[in-house]
Amino acid sequence: MTLLMDSILVLLIIAGFLLLSSSRLSNCIKIGAFQGLMVGFLPIVASGSGITYRIATIALVIAGMKGFVFPYLLSQTLRESNTIKEIKPYIGYTASIFFGVLSLVASFWLDSRLSFSVAASSRLVIPVAFSMMMTGLFMIVARKTAVNQVIGYLVMENGIYSFGLAIVRDVPLLVELGVLMDMFMAVFVMGIAIYRINREFDHIDSDQLNTLKG
Amino acid sequence: MDISRYMAVPLGLIMAPFLLGVINRTKAFFAGRDGSPLLQAYFDIWKLLKKDAVYSRTTTWIFRMAPVIGLAAVIIAMTLVPVAGSSLFTFRGDLIFFAYCFGLMRFFTVVAALDTGSSFEGMGASREVHFSTLAEPALLLGLIALSKLAGSFSLSGMFGGLSGSDWMGAGPAIALVAIAIFIVFLAENSRIPVDDPNTHLELTMIHEVMILDYSGPDLGIVLYAASLKLWVLGALIVNIFVCAAGLTGAVGLAVFAGGMFLLAVIVGIVESMMARLSLLKVPQFLIGAGSMAVLALILVLRFVK
Amino acid sequence: MQINAGLLLPLLFALPVLSAGVCQLLKSALVILRFCVVGVVLVSALVFVAVVMVFRNGMILAAGNWLMLDALSAYHAAVMMTVFVISAFFAVGYFREEIDREEFTLKTARRYGSLWFGAMGAMMLVLVSNNLGIMWVGIESTTLLTAFLICIHMTPGALEAMWKYLMMCSVGVAAAFTGILLAAASTGSAGINSTDALLWTNMMASVSSLNPVMVKAAFIFIVVGYGTKAGLAPMHNWLPDAHSQAPGPVSAIFSGFLLNAALYCIIRFLPIVEASSGNTGWGRGILVVFGLLSILVAAVFILGQHDVKRMLAYHSVEHIGIISVGVGLGGLGVFAALFHVFNHSICKALSFCCAGRVGQVYGTHDMHKITGILRNVPIFGTGLICGILALIGIAPFAIFMSEFMMLKAAVDSAQYWTAAAFLVGAAVVFIGALSHAISMAWKSENDGNTIPVVKKFSILDAVLVFVPLAILLVLGLWMPQPLAKFIIRAAVIVGGLS
Repeated sequence: MTLLMDSILVLLIIAGFLLLSSSRLSNCIKIGAFQGLMVGFLPIVASGSGITYRIATIALVIAGMKGFVFPYLLSQTLRESNTIKEIKPYIGYTASIFFGVLSLVASFWLDSRLSFSVAASSRLVIPVAFSMMMTGLFMIVARKTAVNQVIGYLVMENGIYSFGLAIVRDVPLLVELGVLMDMFMAVFVMGIAIYRINREFDHIDSDQLNTLKG
Repeated sequence: MDISRYMAVPLGLIMAPFLLGVINRTKAFFAGRDGSPLLQAYFDIWKLLKKDAVYSRTTTWIFRMAPVIGLAAVIIAMTLVPVAGSSLFTFRGDLIFFAYCFGLMRFFTVVAALDTGSSFEGMGASREVHFSTLAEPALLLGLIALSKLAGSFSLSGMFGGLSGSDWMGAGPAIALVAIAIFIVFLAENSRIPVDDPNTHLELTMIHEVMILDYSGPDLGIVLYAASLKLWVLGALIVNIFVCAAGLTGAVGLAVFAGGMFLLAVIVGIVESMMARLSLLKVPQFLIGAGSMAVLALILVLRFVK
Repeated sequence: MQINAGLLLPLLFALPVLSAGVCQLLKSALVILRFCVVGVVLVSALVFVAVVMVFRNGMILAAGNWLMLDALSAYHAAVMMTVFVISAFFAVGYFREEIDREEFTLKTARRYGSLWFGAMGAMMLVLVSNNLGIMWVGIESTTLLTAFLICIHMTPGALEAMWKYLMMCSVGVAAAFTGILLAAASTGSAGINSTDALLWTNMMASVSSLNPVMVKAAFIFIVVGYGTKAGLAPMHNWLPDAHSQAPGPVSAIFSGFLLNAALYCIIRFLPIVEASSGNTGWGRGILVVFGLLSILVAAVFILGQHDVKRMLAYHSVEHIGIISVGVGLGGLGVFAALFHVFNHSICKALSFCCAGRVGQVYGTHDMHKITGILRNVPIFGTGLICGILALIGIAPFAIFMSEFMMLKAAVDSAQYWTAAAFLVGAAVVFIGALSHAISMAWKSENDGNTIPVVKKFSILDAVLVFVPLAILLVLGLWMPQPLAKFIIRAAVIVGGLS
């Protein structure tokens, strides 16, 4: 079981690297969707033979949301905004991958310093979760396109979700659903916001939203 | 045991150009052509060896030395790579020696290219150096991850130490190393998507442009050395998979040769399916390989006792 | 009369949500604005009943302990309803002018009404929920619901402010969720049923068996995360933009309670971290540091400010800082901080509404162009100037009292450096804001562009401006016993007084 789990976690990291290195927004959405899908399946894999209907249902709902609904909303937004790629990010793609490697090293170091009692079956979960959080945060900071920032937010959420999976045995169902609803609303609202910004400014680069200062 | 130990180098020396034929036939198959004969590379090299060489007046002895040194370096590297569990020579730390055999080869190729004084070749040399600075760490880190996993700091010990249970315990790490070395393999041998061995458009060439001034036997030696390099680096990848099975002797040799054949087919498929990356994307591709190697190393260091 | 508590708490949350739906059905913009007033009065009545119940009988629990109202949250609920009442009444006058100019159409009004009630419902959810996870859901919902309240009018500036607000607060609040997960993990050894592990009452009950390191880590994430939403420096960058671009009544909610709702979550968590780390004042110290930083940063930005609404926004940063310093000081400081919550919210709601109306008259928020407001816009001008005076802590107003108590708490507990930094910040703010206020109030127009003098005003407007001012004045001079008792009870929950 850990072999499968480890493989999924490694795929999550590779998806993070790919996100850091791709400029085409539609690719970013697809990679993000793949990562979300994998994260959704984590609880099923983690619980192994002790799987219950509850875990399976939640996992499928989350995988569906992260893997299909969010990417669908984002690609709708993208279609209306006529933007194909991120032209000039604040931090270039090569430097971004270096950051990815550094954050990975930092996550493993951090994990070795803090000793969490891990509820999930693989010890890899926590460092991978840290690295996803950092990758997401980095994307929000280093990318200009609004769509990419939303993807960064989702990656960060994926990280937090996996982190929760590792350290909390059972998040109450109601809380889990509330969080999911909030995330859905967040992507939805951000999508509308991007649509409006695009209509008002003719682009979705957030670096040109810079008139308010002081 | 002995048969594989002594047959490894002759097998490579004889079979290496054959791989080029397999790759070309695979590509031809996907393109719907008949393609050149499987032994075309042997014919080319034989033809070139019979000709006379022409040297530019601006070149010096470096230019003439380079092909021979390259061939020597790659043959030495070949003696270190185990086939079916054993290699001709082995010593502690030979994987670094192995990596720098290729460094020596590259150094002389680059210096010889600069020696011609041609701006095109200088351009190719600059690209070669740029990309190899990115490819080399990926190769070394990948090898170090494997050696840490197997607990041995020599190539044959490292591959000999791999077993099926390692794949169960650290499968993702080994797979990552295999992918990283495969990318390095493509880059070092100037295959698509990094470089295209068939193109003769100066703007996009890397390796081909550096050997533009060679002719006759020199060019033949360069071609032969290149095919040996393909064989040696390919052997690393095949070993990662084959060694876990623990086969030795004649059976091991046969399986190994089959693996090499399969690898050549895969390269052909990759070349048929992918387009050449733009030069700006190549560093990202190689750094990607490097980051996978780093990831593998971290996984091995942190989670394998 | 016996009121069923189990029904009351869900109703508190359900009524605003229901009203949000009703807004979509109404047929005219003005009717929607009036419906907001009716709705807010209804909810206020319910909150009043709840507050009285809490005051008499103590904590109310409902829905299998998932909903809870104690003195702390009831107090915050009361503050919140005051702010919403001010906002609702002001909105009628504020948007009526825009209806006349056809800028506030039915579609906009429906969106405004629904989101306004939705935000109220979400904040109420934060206050009444006993589960830290649901509390988080409420905070995140307020972010998403209020985002479009900022750009009721789709101007470039408003969109920019909205995007910053959305991104910064979503990311910040996501960090807070990490904190909540850590808090949940800390209960591992406490032997609480995992479904109920995140209930605040359960955590408090078994606080000694929580893992203190985990709780500390959780607190750091929660302070940074919710602190972003509360506008604590250095995570405050979104705040001046959002506050200055939103229409007046919306800014009033933002500054008056949205920030406090996030700060409330931090305050809720404080007793847990304090008790589990052995009352060493570790958590309080963090709050003091963030609070002082906010005060000083805000002071610097207020000095060089041109835009009146941005200036008020930085005042929010300052006052949120003051409140967290007060909570961090402990003892009397907590009492003063909670008192300050009420004063600041009323005062800031009033100031933003008045600033909005003044801005409508002048067509700008630039303080160099808004001059002579006492003469030109007497009612709202007075409201704005008095509001600013109260905010900077002029003596008879209640804010002076709460800040004075806080200073006393700092000196009593021998935290002289805190007191000194607090005083320096307050003095800079005093000078900066006072000079702005004087020039707005009395400077005559020098560049010749005459402003249409608005002498006509309705009685309602006057009542709206002067009632909050009167409350601030009275509270500054005399504190009613029940209020003091109520705040003391709330302070006891935070662990300030015992």
